[in-house]
Amino acid sequence: MNTAILNNQVPVTVLTGFLGSGKTTLLNRILTENHGKRIAVIENEFGEIGVDNDLVIGAEEEIFEMNNGCICCTVRGDLIRILGNLMKRRDKFDYIMVETTGLADPGPVAQTFFMDTEMQEKLQLDSVTTVVDAKHIWQHIDDSDEAREQIAFADVILLNKIDLVTEGELDQLEARIRNMNSAAKIYRTKNAVVEMEKILNVGGFDLDRAMEVDPQFMEPEYPFEWAGIYNLSAGTHELVLQEGPDPAMKLALVPVNESTDEALEAAVEPVVMVFSDDEHELSAGGTLQPSGQLIELNLTADELRFDAQIDRTGAYALFTEHHPDEFQAQLFGSGALVKPVVEREFKPDHEHDDEVTSVGITTPGDLNADRLNDWIGDLLRTKGPDIFRMKGILSIKGESNRFVFQGVHMLFDGRPDRPWGSEERYNSLIFIGRNLDRTELTEGFEACLA
Amino acid sequence: MSRLNRLSNRFVQHSQLHENWSATISDYVIDLAWSPDGRYIAAASVLGPVTIFEGRHQAVIRTFEGHEFGTMSIAWHPDSKVLASAGQDGKIRLWDITSGEATHSLDGGAAWVEHLAWSGGEKPILASAAGRKLKLWNAVGDLVREYPDHQSTISDIQWKPRERQLASITYGGVALWDPQQSEAVRRLEWKGSALVIAWSPDGKHIATGDQDSTVHFWIMSTGEDLQMYGYPTKVKELSWDATSRFLATGGGLDVTVWDCSGRGPAGTKPIPLSGHRDFISVVRFQHSGKLLVSGGADGLVYVWELQGRRSSRVVHEATLTAGVTNLVWSPNDQYIAVGDELGGVSVFSIS
Repeated sequence: MNTAILNNQVPVTVLTGFLGSGKTTLLNRILTENHGKRIAVIENEFGEIGVDNDLVIGAEEEIFEMNNGCICCTVRGDLIRILGNLMKRRDKFDYIMVETTGLADPGPVAQTFFMDTEMQEKLQLDSVTTVVDAKHIWQHIDDSDEAREQIAFADVILLNKIDLVTEGELDQLEARIRNMNSAAKIYRTKNAVVEMEKILNVGGFDLDRAMEVDPQFMEPEYPFEWAGIYNLSAGTHELVLQEGPDPAMKLALVPVNESTDEALEAAVEPVVMVFSDDEHELSAGGTLQPSGQLIELNLTADELRFDAQIDRTGAYALFTEHHPDEFQAQLFGSGALVKPVVEREFKPDHEHDDEVTSVGITTPGDLNADRLNDWIGDLLRTKGPDIFRMKGILSIKGESNRFVFQGVHMLFDGRPDRPWGSEERYNSLIFIGRNLDRTELTEGFEACLA
Repeated sequence: MSRLNRLSNRFVQHSQLHENWSATISDYVIDLAWSPDGRYIAAASVLGPVTIFEGRHQAVIRTFEGHEFGTMSIAWHPDSKVLASAGQDGKIRLWDITSGEATHSLDGGAAWVEHLAWSGGEKPILASAAGRKLKLWNAVGDLVREYPDHQSTISDIQWKPRERQLASITYGGVALWDPQQSEAVRRLEWKGSALVIAWSPDGKHIATGDQDSTVHFWIMSTGEDLQMYGYPTKVKELSWDATSRFLATGGGLDVTVWDCSGRGPAGTKPIPLSGHRDFISVVRFQHSGKLLVSGGADGLVYVWELQGRRSSRVVHEATLTAGVTNLVWSPNDQYIAVGDELGGVSVFSIS
């Protein structure tokens, strides 16, 4: 019976993004490319920009506070009214797009689909899709709560207008966004051109697909973003950088046995330890050595040239805090450019100290249901306003089925999923929010293990 | 399920409602109204057209095109000769039943006009609510008054029984309006989202059904308010009985009836009427009698006799093939017109 009901649910995409990010371009593209489908568009900035569709409905962004027992949250009253009415028609819509204002907090929109039974029954919130202006987002990302929330809430993020920025800037932006929301799918676009299946019917809020997220967020985080092995002959080399987004960068240069992926891999653990040491500051013109020390290059001078003194010909691994592309860093030996033989990028940790971050927890073992309930209940009560999104898959002791859940702020929706069968049981969850304490969350969760 | 069917199973002697006739309109019956003289039933489809049926037998008298993008509500002028309709084209239309013509097309003031209500008395006034705009019109389409914009969208309006005072509700509470005055004459504030309003026939209480799964009572003499918790879902269904003693409410699978006699409903336990298998969509007491009818998304129609906590029972029932969207008693309380999600319109008699 549930399947039949679910199949009748109309998917909804919530489209957010600052004014000028390319939201309307994307919307028009969706309508054009899905010609023949009945798509209803609910717009807040009604009348401002023409969307080529008959079924455009203006909404007034009426935010209602709702008190349900101990849960207090905000919903969009106008959406409940408008969507409720749309769903009465027999010739249902194939898809509904809700476009929010540039300055909207996506929270109330997402919560509307949890708090109203009619919405829950008839509609399926498919995803929050956020369009980011790759060039201008920097003006907002540090001082606008709305910009950060739009990124944090997103299931899909389009880095749009990539033609206006360099590859290095894009990498840096993507790393920053990843750090805030490691569960979102990120696509780089020009003129909001993206394959439709990447933004429609993606099931971002679908419990069955709750954990089909980018496995990257399960990776450990590293204090460096990049490493490469160079074959260097004895003598003095020169590391040349250009001005970049940061005034300083930590790095370490270490000798390795050979220039292979395996050798690089073997160097990672020891260098992680090096990065936890105190750094030695090095100003432009200074000399660095393959000493296994943590060096911090001061990047405030006009000429950013550093010498590298190599005593013995061989393979050397360079680990850098930021991606070298961000500073257009290049290594020269005897006047010729030396390129790395092997290289690897790493998922950065909290390089930017963003207040909005993701915390992913993955651990084998079974959970004690009572302890888990208490912990989640307490967490949502005390930290609910700061937790924008969470989703996960849990292994509850004594239960043969996986338990999947997701939540928006204090609202929580969970249910048993398919049986574990022969699959190894594990727990995997992610929190995206403001001022999250990784250690506290991880320890709290692990204390729920049976 | 055993608990849900408790009352209906214990008293199995109830009868099937007798169906007089049935018909189908183009889509979901979004509003249904019996003309005050009892002759006609107007049924509005969510797609737009409004069909006027003969009340006593299956005959279509008129079909009005209604509103582009969909009709939202209809209301009969007390003389039963004019029907007002409101829709998603932002218009209010007055239809002449005799000629079959739309005599006036009025601007509600927002993209959607959602609510209409005719006052009683001499020269009835039509109130329209569109977004934040509340306007008053006379029967020949003149704008009588336009009030200052509400703080948020008006979710319902109702004239006070037998008096010319209009109540409107929004997120934030109730406002009362006098057609002679340009500002609200009274405000009852509450930080919550009220969806429907029901003024008790004696005018002493206003009840609202709310988005946050509660029912709010306002005691008009003192301005005190009470809030009733515990509903499984938002409450969009309210109906007072003719004596102003009982308020029937939906907001879940059970019909919940509050007894407002004595010190009630404060501190009292309501009477639960169980039987529906899906959410209730409409509850209606008879205009003057004691019977209560309820309809649900399960397509079931139950007629209840209220005799106290333990002895209330179903006296008649009917089963439709689609969820019930609306129910109205005929003015003489002998017939029930029912609208459903697939456009079905049926008339049942209770005798």
